[in-house]
Amino acid sequence: MGHLITNYYETGAIILFGVGFVTLLAHGNLIKKIIGMNIMDTAVFLFFIAKGYISGSEAPIIRSVKSATGYINPVPTALMLTGIVVAVSITAFALALTIRVYEKYGTVDLNEIIKMGGE
Amino acid sequence: MNNIQREAERSDILTEVGKLIIPFIQVFAVYVIFNGHLSPGGGFAGGTILGASMILHRLIFGWDNLISRLTYERVMKWMCASLLIYGALKGYSFLTGGMHWEVWDIPLGTPGKLLSGGFILPLNIAVGIIVSITVYVFFKLFYEGTI
Amino acid sequence: MYNSYPLIIILVLFISAFAIPLFKSIKMARIIGISAAGISLVLSILTLIGVKANGAYYFRVGHFDAPWGIEFHIGIIEGLMGVLFMTVSMAVLWFSIYSIDHDLSKKKVPLFYTLVNLLVGSLLGIVFSDDLFNCFVFIEISSIASCGIVVVKDKKENIKAALKYLILSSLGSGLVLMGIALVYSLTGHLNMAHIHEALVSIYPEHSRNMLIAIGLFTVGLGVKSAMFPLHTWLPDAHTYAPASSSALLSALVLKAYVILYIKIIHRVFGMSIVGDLPVLNIVLLLGAVGMIAGSVLAILQKNLKRMVAYSSVAQMGYVFFGIGLGTTMGLAAAIFQIFNHAFTKSALFLSAGSILEKTGKKNISDLKGIGKEMPFTMAIFTIGGMSLVGIPLLSGFNSKWNFAVAVIEAHRVELLAVVLISSLLNALYYFPVIINGYFGEESLEGKVYRNTERPLKELLPIIVLVLGVIYFGVSGGGLLSLIEAGIPALN
Repeated sequence: MGHLITNYYETGAIILFGVGFVTLLAHGNLIKKIIGMNIMDTAVFLFFIAKGYISGSEAPIIRSVKSATGYINPVPTALMLTGIVVAVSITAFALALTIRVYEKYGTVDLNEIIKMGGE
Repeated sequence: MNNIQREAERSDILTEVGKLIIPFIQVFAVYVIFNGHLSPGGGFAGGTILGASMILHRLIFGWDNLISRLTYERVMKWMCASLLIYGALKGYSFLTGGMHWEVWDIPLGTPGKLLSGGFILPLNIAVGIIVSITVYVFFKLFYEGTI
Repeated sequence: MYNSYPLIIILVLFISAFAIPLFKSIKMARIIGISAAGISLVLSILTLIGVKANGAYYFRVGHFDAPWGIEFHIGIIEGLMGVLFMTVSMAVLWFSIYSIDHDLSKKKVPLFYTLVNLLVGSLLGIVFSDDLFNCFVFIEISSIASCGIVVVKDKKENIKAALKYLILSSLGSGLVLMGIALVYSLTGHLNMAHIHEALVSIYPEHSRNMLIAIGLFTVGLGVKSAMFPLHTWLPDAHTYAPASSSALLSALVLKAYVILYIKIIHRVFGMSIVGDLPVLNIVLLLGAVGMIAGSVLAILQKNLKRMVAYSSVAQMGYVFFGIGLGTTMGLAAAIFQIFNHAFTKSALFLSAGSILEKTGKKNISDLKGIGKEMPFTMAIFTIGGMSLVGIPLLSGFNSKWNFAVAVIEAHRVELLAVVLISSLLNALYYFPVIINGYFGEESLEGKVYRNTERPLKELLPIIVLVLGVIYFGVSGGGLLSLIEAGIPALN
């Protein structure tokens, strides 16, 4: 229990991940599914960046020469920048498809769409 | 339809403020792109600012202005050309680095000056163009429903 | 010299993908797309020859050495996958010249070629890369591109299928990213070889974290490669996509994720760790259930393409079954099955797509007497179906034989029953189509010989794939021994 409180970044990230996961799976509404997807991605970003953070250190922008221990680990931050770009593009693509689905089927509820069947 | 009605009631305040503010946003975007190798920022951040200024321009002045020249096809050509330049430069760098070839490399310049940092400046410019166009295309897609 | 070819292949595919939209004409799109694929095919063959002669190697991408920079790891398995991917995509692109206009509007055809080149490039990136985060980026590119080649046909079923696919595959990539985050937090590395070293040194203390990480990878990549209970997106996406897209999706897209999974088990964690954890038994169980349930679901289908799509679930079950055995022979059988399935299923999808395109008939019950109307297409379909059933002299037989040998070598003879039952079930859904197509007095009545047949030249790409099926059937031993020679390099 004590570990959960000292590592509160990770605990929060895992809770958010669960929230996103359940939202993505349990809701029929496509917009809610996409929101869940985003929450899930954000949780992973939080987890990753928390791994690179060193308490009391600065952002790795070199102004005056300092030893390497004075800066946080920039690698997770850089990786998550890529991750954010990827998540944004997937979200935009999914939203564009949702608009098309709404035009064609008249609803954004996946269960109703599946009930309508194909052909 | 709603959007078109809204555009008809364009207000003077918006147009005047827009005329004042948009050039500054664009100059700032170019500054961020060109100083990406010296300070925080770079192609992605600057491209987003440039894209935001294009969106603002589109919202304030509507379709009948400069922006109307940015048709989907033309914008896509710019984007593909930037991607090609990016791919070619980065591919060259990857290949020569991986093969340990000592061939021509872009001059490094003096650290701290604008023309320094090797490939980073041209790559930042390419990324800036790509990102600004992507942001603008996303906006167009969701605002107008079509591209 | 050959060691830079994998990088050049990916660069050529990506750069050509973005060169295509610069030209408006469909002809230019085809020339650029196919010539890029051709160059890549030649380079991948040269890479394979080089690797075979000199063994596996690392290739540094860019100017930084391993723990900081990105590396490619090319062994015989990766080389073989490069050749396989490029051969199949070359055949599919060749076929698409004759068929893609039928499904797409004129404006969308160049987009199709862009997406295919992006897709194949990113899949090869997944196969070659030795850096976990780089693999993740390639996974995301490939999932956007593969949804793109489904939705490029502008029908409402396609949009529904692509959305379903996109949501489930982004769920999968979210899980994979979380797994990468766990591994990174344990080891501080993203390079597979360095992660392996670090993991082995800390193994007994952190085994629970490793179990969670490998579970996340299993589920995440399982969603993407249609491991049995996670396959729900597959039938829709593969059924409604244009024929060329379905062939690529089932022959290549599923396979790249499996290869990544194999690399994660063998290169990142290593058998010494994975062997202690209960993961492989679950993979074995899911594979075995998938082999049977996929076939049962396929029997229930009325739509021809949907039946072939469900058959993919069963065939992917074989691959996971082989991985789950955890022995070298099991892994070799799984990789052989990847070859068998890639060639067979792309031939099946292309011929089923031709039948659908020429006759407009989707349902199996309407296809009586099709063997007289389209004798060559149906012959191709027959060979593909018989290969999956396991008729000798076709690659499916060799594949099943390998599985049987692997099961016996692993001393788990009871699993032999699963392999046999699954082949039997395969026969139950492929043979009715074939028999109704060729035989039966009343079904052949009123059919004109070669009425709706494609010209032979348009069938050539599928014939090339079928020749591959027959080649691996007649002399599968060569490929198997090559795979077995390549497996040690994975560890």
